[in-house]
Amino acid sequence: MNIQPDLEFIQYLKGVGGDTLKKCYQCATCSVVCPLSKDKKPFPRKEMIWSQWGLKDNLITDPDVFLCHQCGDCTAKCPRGAKPGDVMGAVRAYAYTFYGWPSGLAKLASSAKGLPVMIAIPAVVIFVMWMLSGAMGFPSAEDFAHHGYQQFFGHWDFRWYAKNIFFIVCFMVPSLALAVFSAYKGISNLWKAMAEKHTMNPNFRPSVIQFGQKFLLPAVVEILQHVRFRECKVNADRARGHRPLMYAFIGLFIVTTWSLLANDVIGLWVARFHGPMTFWNPVKLLANVSAIAMLYGIWVLWTNRAKAESDAGLSGNFYDWFLIWEIMAVGVTGTLAEVCRWAGLVQIGYLIYFCHLVAVMMLFLYLPYTKLAHLVYRTFAIAFDKCRESSFGTDAAVK
Amino acid sequence: MTDEQGTSGAILVVGGGISGLTAALEAAEVGNDVFLIEKSASFGGRVAQLNQYFPKLCPPSCGLEINFRRVKNNRKIRTYTMTTVKSVSGAPGNYQVNLEIAPRYVNSNCTACGDCAEACPDMIDNEFNFGMDKTKAAYLLHDMAYPRRYVINKAKLSADGAKAVKAACKYNAVDLDMQVQNVTVNVASIVWATGWTPYDATKMDNLKFGHSNAIITNMMMERLAAPNGPTGGAVVRPGDGKEVSSIAFVQCAGSRDENHLEFCSHICCMATLKQMTYVRERYPDAKMYVFYIDLRTPGKYEKFREKLTNDKNSFFIKGKVAEIVPESDGGVTVVAENAVTGDKIRQKVDMAVLATGMQPSLGLEGSPVSLNMDNSGFIISDNEKGMISAGCAKKAADVVTTTQSSTAAALKAIQISRR
Repeated sequence: MNIQPDLEFIQYLKGVGGDTLKKCYQCATCSVVCPLSKDKKPFPRKEMIWSQWGLKDNLITDPDVFLCHQCGDCTAKCPRGAKPGDVMGAVRAYAYTFYGWPSGLAKLASSAKGLPVMIAIPAVVIFVMWMLSGAMGFPSAEDFAHHGYQQFFGHWDFRWYAKNIFFIVCFMVPSLALAVFSAYKGISNLWKAMAEKHTMNPNFRPSVIQFGQKFLLPAVVEILQHVRFRECKVNADRARGHRPLMYAFIGLFIVTTWSLLANDVIGLWVARFHGPMTFWNPVKLLANVSAIAMLYGIWVLWTNRAKAESDAGLSGNFYDWFLIWEIMAVGVTGTLAEVCRWAGLVQIGYLIYFCHLVAVMMLFLYLPYTKLAHLVYRTFAIAFDKCRESSFGTDAAVK
Repeated sequence: MTDEQGTSGAILVVGGGISGLTAALEAAEVGNDVFLIEKSASFGGRVAQLNQYFPKLCPPSCGLEINFRRVKNNRKIRTYTMTTVKSVSGAPGNYQVNLEIAPRYVNSNCTACGDCAEACPDMIDNEFNFGMDKTKAAYLLHDMAYPRRYVINKAKLSADGAKAVKAACKYNAVDLDMQVQNVTVNVASIVWATGWTPYDATKMDNLKFGHSNAIITNMMMERLAAPNGPTGGAVVRPGDGKEVSSIAFVQCAGSRDENHLEFCSHICCMATLKQMTYVRERYPDAKMYVFYIDLRTPGKYEKFREKLTNDKNSFFIKGKVAEIVPESDGGVTVVAENAVTGDKIRQKVDMAVLATGMQPSLGLEGSPVSLNMDNSGFIISDNEKGMISAGCAKKAADVVTTTQSSTAAALKAIQISRR
């Protein structure tokens, strides 16, 4: 067998948290202590040697790379400080860039060097929108109290479609659409590659409904319950931070959906559905509870990560920190914007709200290329894991 | 004892195992005065605990007996047991070393008749056998103990026990009022042959040592196989005494691991292969599983490995055991990933032997004087200062290498005394 190591690939891994990968001497302690790996072809020992040898093709078609929750049990027990958990994270970082479309954007989002541009894109777009909207000014204190940020992009008297919503939709929806399309493309490429490598039965595929019922839905349920995440021992705190954070995102998704519905559909007939919600409105309560959960969750993850870096010698890198910063930015700007509204601070409020819009747009726009991509990739990898163990996988069919 | 150059010609050898004995004899047999001190009640060190040792698989009586005789016959060597170094002052060529002699509670009248032990009602854990059996509180460290004199563990002796022991001795050798003694010796140089301690297996929490009788260490295996051991040489499971039909050897247990001993102890692979022969002699059909990262069989020992890898009931699995699960029937299941096939193995066995490494004792206990030590606690010789390390205090090694390094250390020590 002629092995061609991909040296650039190895260098890449070393740059995104996998700097210790060459220390591994294949004792396989990691595969045994990993609470998530199974008896047949466990991970991450095999991924460690593939990384050392630069066997990129094996790694980017390996569902185990995405099944890893980076809980750090393997890293704690590793006799050499090779930090398999971090190497797996580095491989995922590579995979998101590899499967990301368009590749220019994916590459931009892969290193700290791209950060200024990553911030500049939404900042410029939103600023231009603000100028185009012609609003470009601050409302009176009275208006601010009455409308909050709902006239950030101005107001027109066309009752079927609010001006503010029109402008927000103008940049948020394309960002989200791009992200969804890119994630779809990435997932389908990954799935094809995994299915080929792991010889799924080509003549016998699940229908869309079967797939949803048998594999995707159980995977989502498992993720919601944090079944796998809670297996982790060394770093149990991460599950404690991740869970409220995930529920916060779900809560804020519901709030956003409801706001859209209330303002733009119901609001057309019932005027009182317009305007910012009162504090005791249940949806507003959900929004605030979610915001607190988000800040708490990201705070736990932030301190946890910082502690791991100072105590356990984990290496800090852009890939891991970007998501923490990004979510922190969304949470902090969102909460501060609300506080400014209660306090009637128009100018500062508007500036913070602008930052909030930038942060949210970044979240959408870079979703498929940054760590947040695990949202889709891990979900489908778990579904694939279930699929390959079912009768649709040839491994099972042979038995 | 000062020679014409103004140096004390004497040499202090700290530690009376195979390494210290060798260094002391080599120095004394070329005419130097030697003080040989040993912390425990008898000379012989770790070798005395082995069943057989390399290179010829002799019982320890073979090598130790001749060395004891040489020490006994050599008037240049003064021996002290139960003795440790308290402090060192002075300079190379002229060190004043303060020694502390712990009370043995048995004086030199002792003839090792054993009447005191017979009369003693108090039992203590037998540390020489790693607690696998009990011994009397008045005891001989082991059958081959040198000096051949009993020792009393006064802290564990009851009031009745004290009376009984005293009454039993015909020679008036029991002296329970014995006090700590301090002695100062004047020496030119010091050979540190302080040896090693088996790495504490309870530190590997995933290997569950102490949670099941089926999990033993390689040194416990030596005691089990030794004719003077707790089972009289029967390799059976401690506790229930079950004969073993399957056994797993867990290599690198706490070795080559930055969380434990970061170095390779050099001897554990060969020790395991040797212990496989103990098992095979006693159980011709027992299944033996060796879980390893790399098998290290230096030099001529390759043949020895071949003999065992050709054994049809021996299985060598490349993959470190990272989990041991005690089972309800008294056995254990060891879990590893076979890195060759890429699948996990869960092997149920009657007994698991942890091949624990050598931790340098002085590094573990702390040195009474400032010595050059590496990160792991091995002593780096400082020839200029006349502080010379030998044997396993210098590096993890087998007996052959140890005796070579002790001879070398003796030569360095002599050079200081002849300046």
